[in-house]
Amino acid sequence: MSADEPVKTTKTDWTTKVWDFLTSLKLVVFLLLILSALSIAGTIIQQNKPLQEYYRFYQPGTVALFNKLGLFDMYHSWWFLACLALLAMSITVCTMDRYRGIMAGLRKRNLILDEDLGNSLQDLTTIKYALPLDTVEKKMLELVGKGFSGKPVATTAEDSGRHYFFEKGKYSRLAFFLTHLSILIIFLGALVGSFFGYKGYVNIFEGEMISQLETRAGKIKNLNFQVKCNTFNAEFYPSGAPMDYRSDLSILQNGKEIIRKTIRVNDPLTFEGITFYQSSYGGQPDEVAIDVVNRDGSLKGTVTAPFGQKVDIPGVADKVAIADYQEHHHLPDGSEGGRALDVHVYPEKGEETEVWLLMDNPDYDKRRGGDYYLRVKDLKLKKYTGLQVNKDPGEILVWFGSVMLIAGIMIAFFMSHKKLWVSLRTDRKGRSELTIGGTANKNRDAFAREMEPMIQSLKEVS
Amino acid sequence: MTNSLLFGISTFVYFFAMVLYISYLAFRSDGLGKAATLSLVGGVVVETAAIGMRWYESYQMGIGRAPLTNMYESLAFFAWTIALIYLVLERKFKIRTVGAFVVPFPFIIMAYASLNPNDIQPLVPALQSNWLISHVVTCFVGYAAFAVSFGVSILYLFKARSEKLSPKSPGSFWGFLPSAAALDEIGYKTIAIGFPLLTIGIVTGAFWANVAWGTYWSWDPKETWSLIVWFIYAAYLHARITRGWRGKRAAILSIVGFSATIFCYLGVNLILSGLHSYGG
Repeated sequence: MSADEPVKTTKTDWTTKVWDFLTSLKLVVFLLLILSALSIAGTIIQQNKPLQEYYRFYQPGTVALFNKLGLFDMYHSWWFLACLALLAMSITVCTMDRYRGIMAGLRKRNLILDEDLGNSLQDLTTIKYALPLDTVEKKMLELVGKGFSGKPVATTAEDSGRHYFFEKGKYSRLAFFLTHLSILIIFLGALVGSFFGYKGYVNIFEGEMISQLETRAGKIKNLNFQVKCNTFNAEFYPSGAPMDYRSDLSILQNGKEIIRKTIRVNDPLTFEGITFYQSSYGGQPDEVAIDVVNRDGSLKGTVTAPFGQKVDIPGVADKVAIADYQEHHHLPDGSEGGRALDVHVYPEKGEETEVWLLMDNPDYDKRRGGDYYLRVKDLKLKKYTGLQVNKDPGEILVWFGSVMLIAGIMIAFFMSHKKLWVSLRTDRKGRSELTIGGTANKNRDAFAREMEPMIQSLKEVS
Repeated sequence: MTNSLLFGISTFVYFFAMVLYISYLAFRSDGLGKAATLSLVGGVVVETAAIGMRWYESYQMGIGRAPLTNMYESLAFFAWTIALIYLVLERKFKIRTVGAFVVPFPFIIMAYASLNPNDIQPLVPALQSNWLISHVVTCFVGYAAFAVSFGVSILYLFKARSEKLSPKSPGSFWGFLPSAAALDEIGYKTIAIGFPLLTIGIVTGAFWANVAWGTYWSWDPKETWSLIVWFIYAAYLHARITRGWRGKRAAILSIVGFSATIFCYLGVNLILSGLHSYGG
């Protein structure tokens, strides 16, 4: 024993321990269960809501704690991602660990059906014929060839006759790589997407165009083209449920229209790797005419107000500004108020008041009291379409990985590597003797059932 | 409408089939067993007609869409897939005794479906997609396979206990059931059918979400729960294939897996909120 040997052993022990830990089934099962448990927590605690909403459900102390732990955005918290990273490492190490074994399984070994091999096979059958060996060989190749197409490996051994090795589904052993590497590829795709892609949102008014947008992370992205919304249309069923949202979009570059397409939900537009999805819509008051009405019903005057600008109310010292518009306004009592205009009234002295004017209930503002009330006379809406924007260069990897995963699972469950050995020899009495036996790396019962008719027809050869 | 009437009849026939399967288990009479299978086939035939009729009627109403888009329709389809998949597996694996543990599902589900509004509504824009059918069908056939595995696993637990208590009793009630080893194998094979389908269901769902909303995975409760179900069955398969987990532990995992499946399907809609429409 040399002096440095113990040191070497501890080193090996340490790496072996890590290796064993990463390849252990316990780790995988534990990770799958812990990821499930964490995911469940994430479906119970609503994710990514504005912080103030959580105060309605939890104590302030709990909100602070949960926020610190990352429980409100837990699928992106360091500990959730760490579990996924550990899973990825485990998959990688397991793949490396299994590599040699799987490649060895592909190699042709045991080409000869000898006694040892024969003993290890489940249903070894021996059939004797009163036919010449060559005839039996020809018949055998024909019958077995029906199930195992392709040429067998034939070996002639001096003492024990002729041997044939058939196999099929050899490459089904590679399903392990397909299923496990596919998960890594999907992870990689997700990473590429989060580093090199972005998601954003943009509103485009009819007839207008944009060349930049704000991402979810709050950054401004400049596009090297313009997106123009020619028209937007929403259609509804008689029940009021939405039927179709359509935006007629154009992509322009250097003032020239390059693409024109009407997008709908489920039918987005992609240009230079950036995809625009129909997501929402709305309207903004463009020009509004408001009647100023005395309490007795007589008209005091009419004011025309562009969106967002303070305008004098005729005959009064107050000012008014249009602040918002809603298609479906909810009244304070929770009932549906329909189309409504939000105006701010600025009195000469004192605080501004927010007033909702209902389009379908023109005298609604009368209940506010005061010398006069407001009534919408005419409203021109500027419609806009709301587009979800997505750039994700990792997407293709995700789909590639997904297809690989499905293919791998299918092969793993429904295909197996089947091997069949046949040996032919002449026995002491001069009869031809055929011995046949096979095995599969999976689902041996099904393989035995598959073999039965083949063996039966071999027995019937005469 | 005709489709409602047919769905009603199929519910009744499923009830009848359930009673027959349970009687078959209780009285061990071959005639009862055949009658049970036959009545379940009848239930499936009637419900197939009901689904077809509903599809046809939606076209007559000028809506024209596959009947897979609200709670009522998805429940009815779920009952139909469980009954159909069970019949296929009963034939393949000769497991008529399992029927008493699986066939109550179609009946209970149809009875529950009848509590939901069943008028034919047109599709909202997000559901107007060719991915609808492939996504829903693969998911539900997968769920149905898990349901059969669940029934087989429960039966396994009973049978394994009886084999332990009284190893040799061929004439007894327990001797009438398939062997514990056979039940264990069938429990696994049904999961081997369900798992690839669930995987395809999740992938088609992700692809569709990406076409409709521009994101293939958003940790929506339904997506998350489908992933949990996937994890549980993945754990089952790994434990079984690499460590030879069989018998009781495998059966319990299969039962846990199906419980999670039911929560993914119903619990998420009833308790949590999310993107899937049939919650209402």
